[in-house]
Amino acid sequence: MKGLLTRCVTLALSLTVVLAGCGSNQDSSTDAGGASGGSEQSGTSKVSMVYWPGPESDAMQKVVDAYNSGQGKTDGVNVEMVLLSRDGTYEKEAAMMSSKSDEVDMYFTASYIIGQHAPSLDALDGKLNTDGYLKSSVDSLRMNNETLAIPMDVSNHFLLYRQDLIDQLLSDSAWKSKYGEVSQKVLGQTLEPKDPKDWTWDDFIAAAAFFSQEYNPDSPTKYGTALQMKNLIFNVMIWDDFLWSSGGSWLDESGKPQLNSDAAKKAMGIYSTIYNGKMTSPNSTVAEYPETQAALQSGNAAFAVQWGAAYDELNDPARSPNIAGKIAVAPIPGEHKTHVHALGVGLNKYAKNKEAALKWMNYLTTKDAMQIYADGGGIPPIAEVLNGLGEKKPVLPLIAEHVDKYGYSTPIIAETQPIMLKLAEDLSGAWAGKDDIGKALEKAQTDVTETLSK
Amino acid sequence: MVYSEKAAKWVLSFPLLLFWVVMVVFPAGYAIYLSLHDVSMGQGMSSFSGFGNYLEILGDADFWHSIGFTLEFALITTVLELVFGFLLALLFNRSFPGKRPLLSMVLLPIMVAPSLMGIMFRLILNENNGVATYFLSLLHIQINLFDPDLVVPLMIVLDIMQWVPFTFLIIYSGLQGVDPGLFEAASVDGASYWRTVLQIILPVIAPIFFIAAFLRGIDAFRTFDVIYVLTNGGPGNVTKTASIYIYEAAFKSGQIGQAASASVIVAVFLLLLIPFFVKRLSK
Repeated sequence: MKGLLTRCVTLALSLTVVLAGCGSNQDSSTDAGGASGGSEQSGTSKVSMVYWPGPESDAMQKVVDAYNSGQGKTDGVNVEMVLLSRDGTYEKEAAMMSSKSDEVDMYFTASYIIGQHAPSLDALDGKLNTDGYLKSSVDSLRMNNETLAIPMDVSNHFLLYRQDLIDQLLSDSAWKSKYGEVSQKVLGQTLEPKDPKDWTWDDFIAAAAFFSQEYNPDSPTKYGTALQMKNLIFNVMIWDDFLWSSGGSWLDESGKPQLNSDAAKKAMGIYSTIYNGKMTSPNSTVAEYPETQAALQSGNAAFAVQWGAAYDELNDPARSPNIAGKIAVAPIPGEHKTHVHALGVGLNKYAKNKEAALKWMNYLTTKDAMQIYADGGGIPPIAEVLNGLGEKKPVLPLIAEHVDKYGYSTPIIAETQPIMLKLAEDLSGAWAGKDDIGKALEKAQTDVTETLSK
Repeated sequence: MVYSEKAAKWVLSFPLLLFWVVMVVFPAGYAIYLSLHDVSMGQGMSSFSGFGNYLEILGDADFWHSIGFTLEFALITTVLELVFGFLLALLFNRSFPGKRPLLSMVLLPIMVAPSLMGIMFRLILNENNGVATYFLSLLHIQINLFDPDLVVPLMIVLDIMQWVPFTFLIIYSGLQGVDPGLFEAASVDGASYWRTVLQIILPVIAPIFFIAAFLRGIDAFRTFDVIYVLTNGGPGNVTKTASIYIYEAAFKSGQIGQAASASVIVAVFLLLLIPFFVKRLSK
């Protein structure tokens, strides 16, 4: 009897443990990715859409709420956002995509990863009208002549500079004279200060030297600029501006790598000159967006190529008391090319509820939806919406203008992100003076060729 | 009755066995399966590739560089953490005023998540608003700890700062079990303190040292968080660990099959070390 009791108790305990492990947490569907995509209740189709948690999802939630309480009722569609972790969104999506899951109807994607997402996304051409978007943002989500996602949030770069310092440089004769002296020392030619809107790369280097105490002990800033040199794909995107605005690109017209081009050497040379010449902080080797913000906010740097989203923070007296109101925007020096990438949403090829998802996506392409998104803090790539918010957020019309006039997209292929990874690794050592520029570019050329051949 | 006892053993072991199968056997088996296939992110499984992924990884100079750096990092950090942990344990094995609060402070770093440790030092060492750089500048010291030549020592120092408390705890618990009479007897025989420590105490607690070395060595070999947050493996690939290599291969490049084969190679490499430690521990 005692033995039987012991066996019953142990069996019950074991089953408890097993069942506890297998139990599902039905309350966490929206936060943990357990969306019930495709279910229908009372004639309403439920569409589940993965989105990136953070300011973008806060803005999108307002659009979702507006749709669910308005147009969604007419469409018979109820949208639910699935928020995965900000750092792990793509990894979790990859797991879903690999298993051809129909758990969600729409995936969150971005220009730099859409090539890897492409096999799991339906082409949207002919199903949605993307004419209202800024062209380069749509292009950044197209691959093999197919639109694979609609852009929701656009990012680009500017040359952000201290207007007060540049104004003095353009008007103060002593500063002008010193500028000529410094440019002669650094570049071997005497340059006149120019408005940043007209800068060549030589002007960029000369100004960086002039505002560095290494060359000009009286400089109000310790360093001229702030380079972002950490081994990161987002820093490659910034270096790409130096490459594209020097007349280069990753691939030539036939799709072959051209990272050993003169333009690539020039772009590398600018980084090397600035870093080795102490015109940027030595800490730039681990710098990314926040470090560049800190360099400008602290008054340690006079200008930097930085993401557009930085502008508002730098001119906000609460967050940047030392420099608020003094930051202005200019195009990237040289050929003014600015990297454009978009965050977007695409239709899961294996979705259960494609028709309903397309109704929701159709709503997303409207100006009304994107207006709500922008009011909520997003940056939709629709010029009319961005221009309309200029008074509230002065950077938005500038984004619309620069993306339209100077925007370019890096090649959108399955290997886009792997190429960026290789470039970050191969080039960041040379940016920091650890590796020889020529050897680094040759290695990048070989690695990108190998990546493409796979 | 014999039958009942056997059955009870199985039933009692069942949760653990199930856990082992689900959390160890299946993932390991599946990783081996993936490593033999052409699997990429978003496209799933495409075809059986035999040892193709292994050959690809074994021929990749970056992989060997990451293994070399990881070995160097693990070896140096483990040795130094054992030394400092031992010295701290000797210190705390004595009575002195303020021992309890100091003990709590010494243990604090171990309670910080490694990724937070990385973020913390990213802020502390920032030239524009970092506390450390501010105080160094007051002393007119200008040093770039993220210089390619200094970044590896910096990563080692950070690892030591975080994990010395761990080796200290293990060794300290071992010291607590040492008969105080050993110290007294050695003292009576005229042995100095350090001779007693090195020739009497150290051999007694040697198994504890091996446990600490084993746990820290394995952990240091898996290092990811702090380095990923601070340098992302750079500049170039100077600080790229095997874990970062595998992570990038899987989730950035999307080459799941290759990442799985790199994981299997690393696991096999680590498995080769286990008999050495098991032999030492079972003595």
